[in-house]
Amino acid sequence: MAGVGFRRWAQALSRGKGSGLSALLPGYRAASGGSKADLPSSYPLTPEAKAAAAKKYNMRVDDYKPYPDQGEGYGDYPKLPDTSQQERDPWYQWDHPDLRRNWGEPMHWNFDIFTRNRVDTSPTVVSWSTMCKQLFGFIGFMLFMFYLGEKYPAYQPVAPKQYPYNNLYLEKGGDPEKQPEEVVNYKI
Amino acid sequence: MWFPASVLTSTLIIIFFLLGYPVVTTLVSGPVKPGWAKTHVKPAVKTAFFVSLIPLFLFVNEGVEVVIASWNWMNTMTFDVGISLKFDHYSLIFTPVALYVSWAIMEFAMWYMQDDPHMDQFFKYLLIFLIAMIVLVTANNLFQLFIGWEGVGIMSFLLIGWWSSRADANTAALQAVVYNRVGDIGLIFALAWMVTNLNSWEMQQVFVTVEGFNVTPPALGLVLAAAGKSAQFGLHPWLPSAMEGPTPVSALLHSSTMVVAGIFLLIRMSPLLEKSPTALTVCLCLGALTALFTACCALTHNDLKKVIAFSTSSQLGLMMVTIGLNQPQLAFLHICMHAFFKAMLFLCSGSIIHSLGGEQDIRKMGAIQRQTPWTSSCFTIGSLALTGMPFLAGFFSKDAIIEAMTTSHLNAWALILTLIATAFTAVYSLRLIYFVVMVNPRSMAISPIGEGDPQLINPLKRLAWGSILAGLCITLNVLPFKTPVMSMPPVLKLIAVIVTVLGFLTALWLIAPLGARTQTTLSPNMHRFTSMLGFYPALVHRATPKLSLVWGQTAADQMIDQNWLEQVGPKATVTLNKPLITTTSNIQQGITKTHLTLFLLALILVVSMIIF
Repeated sequence: MAGVGFRRWAQALSRGKGSGLSALLPGYRAASGGSKADLPSSYPLTPEAKAAAAKKYNMRVDDYKPYPDQGEGYGDYPKLPDTSQQERDPWYQWDHPDLRRNWGEPMHWNFDIFTRNRVDTSPTVVSWSTMCKQLFGFIGFMLFMFYLGEKYPAYQPVAPKQYPYNNLYLEKGGDPEKQPEEVVNYKI
Repeated sequence: MWFPASVLTSTLIIIFFLLGYPVVTTLVSGPVKPGWAKTHVKPAVKTAFFVSLIPLFLFVNEGVEVVIASWNWMNTMTFDVGISLKFDHYSLIFTPVALYVSWAIMEFAMWYMQDDPHMDQFFKYLLIFLIAMIVLVTANNLFQLFIGWEGVGIMSFLLIGWWSSRADANTAALQAVVYNRVGDIGLIFALAWMVTNLNSWEMQQVFVTVEGFNVTPPALGLVLAAAGKSAQFGLHPWLPSAMEGPTPVSALLHSSTMVVAGIFLLIRMSPLLEKSPTALTVCLCLGALTALFTACCALTHNDLKKVIAFSTSSQLGLMMVTIGLNQPQLAFLHICMHAFFKAMLFLCSGSIIHSLGGEQDIRKMGAIQRQTPWTSSCFTIGSLALTGMPFLAGFFSKDAIIEAMTTSHLNAWALILTLIATAFTAVYSLRLIYFVVMVNPRSMAISPIGEGDPQLINPLKRLAWGSILAGLCITLNVLPFKTPVMSMPPVLKLIAVIVTVLGFLTALWLIAPLGARTQTTLSPNMHRFTSMLGFYPALVHRATPKLSLVWGQTAADQMIDQNWLEQVGPKATVTLNKPLITTTSNIQQGITKTHLTLFLLALILVVSMIIF
């Protein structure tokens, strides 16, 4: 490796155009990463710019739609639909199976929100409003019942009840001629 | 007999050494020897269990109340944090129970995980978890408890996400961490309250110096912490999701040890909790709601491990109810009983799942009692113990809890919910036994069914003995701290059994031949509500992350990027300087009229200054 670099440097020096230090850089570095043309640029104003941007992001011109130009800095980055990776086909042979994404596919601006570990936008069995009504209705009902339960608690009595009029002697069919026994279950 | 308190400390240090030594051996460079788990880990845990019996027997024999060993650790001018170990009834009983269950699970895991290429790492994680759990239960100050608390949380994350190539496992691990962290907010708040008001984290000092303070805020903080760790309603979805982890993890962490850490915290802090009726009421109501809600979810799910997970959550709700009744010792008794039969249920489920080639749906099981007699029998014993079958382990704790409930002055709705949850426990237990063990086989014709391996059978046998005898052993040797109600009407005495029998009868009626009923489900709406877990995960797991992540992105974009880095920084320079520059350069255009005007203004200014 060092020998190859040194030889290349010597050749660049002999051409007499500068120090030739750039020749020391190994060739594989030049192939890594994208070129400047692959970076996002400013908002596309003309149809040709839109077509070029669509090509840059590997999209069809009909599918390509940039973010509105409101000074937020999106440039020509495509506005992709807010769908999570969970909605994609689990059985397809994706290049990245855990991300359910193919190489070169345009990434959503908020891709990190829509990975499979995070926000899931796949359709639910029931509509959002029905789910909210049922869950919060259940919680509300429980809270109300707990409130009633606090107001009317359950407990075991420690003594028989003390009724007036000598423990309701006459109402219970006692003999009015007789003097009833005094019944005192408890005193306060 | 003279009882040296240092014996307790020494045995605990020996236990830490026994458990820590295999972990330390993995720190050397190079892989561990093959069979390291069998030669180092299982014997370590087994020996630690037998060593932990020594302090227990000494403690019970001598009738000691508590032994505390303290060392100085960190000292500031006004605040000290020490290492202090508390050997009381709770820590000395829980440690052997946890080690006994861990011994069985480690042996089972050697069979269950034998094909895993990183089996040794798995056992290392289990050992680290066990050390953290023992640190938690023996802690006498809240800081030390918090160390164990976080330790078990981290190990839970690593173990749930064991099969990290599964996105669902990663999501479940993340859920466990996030929900536990929400609960940790409560614990940290309680710690902060104590350090600012009581100047100590030592439990004895907290209980004494808290007189005269309004203890409701820290008590509610502790309840929030317990709700997170013990999967109470509102912070419960992580527990069924945690079934993504391997079955030994579910058996050890998510049924016997880690999930009871929240309840254990409340038991430890019960002297503080009992001074706050609000906190006790919250515990009661939250526990009752959890018990019923998760029992309902267990009725309609078909994944074997998930049903057992919901059952765990329901029993944790029951423990929370017991805390709400101000009966911490009963809650602790239920923790110990629950550890045995729930771990056994999970091991049986692991055996069944392995035998059926990875099948977890109970609708695709059935009639395995002849092929796997040990598993089927232990599964039945565990389920019966769970329902509170008289004189099995669960009976001693559950019956006492229900009796305490019915003879207390409490929220009537909480009582009703708990009784219904008890009935539902019987329903889903019988449902599990029916679908998994009985009736006709609905699994694949050729499955690797078999239970010849002693590493599978011996743990089940040990846990079965525990599920049968542990209740009797513990209740015969430990006196109750609070006098139980001795006399009650016969109906109240038998209410637990009556409710359980009603549950069994309901289950039998529901599984009757379909000709007796025209519908497969009594109420499709309720079935959908419970099978979707009340839509709670669907709503919360979508709305909360999306809102927080979108707001975070907006804050980063607009507040930081556009505001601070543009408007306030560079653009503010332009905004402020441009008018000044414009004014200054407009004045200095070289126009004579402007110069004369300025000269006149300056003259007027000077004259007025001279005059005035």
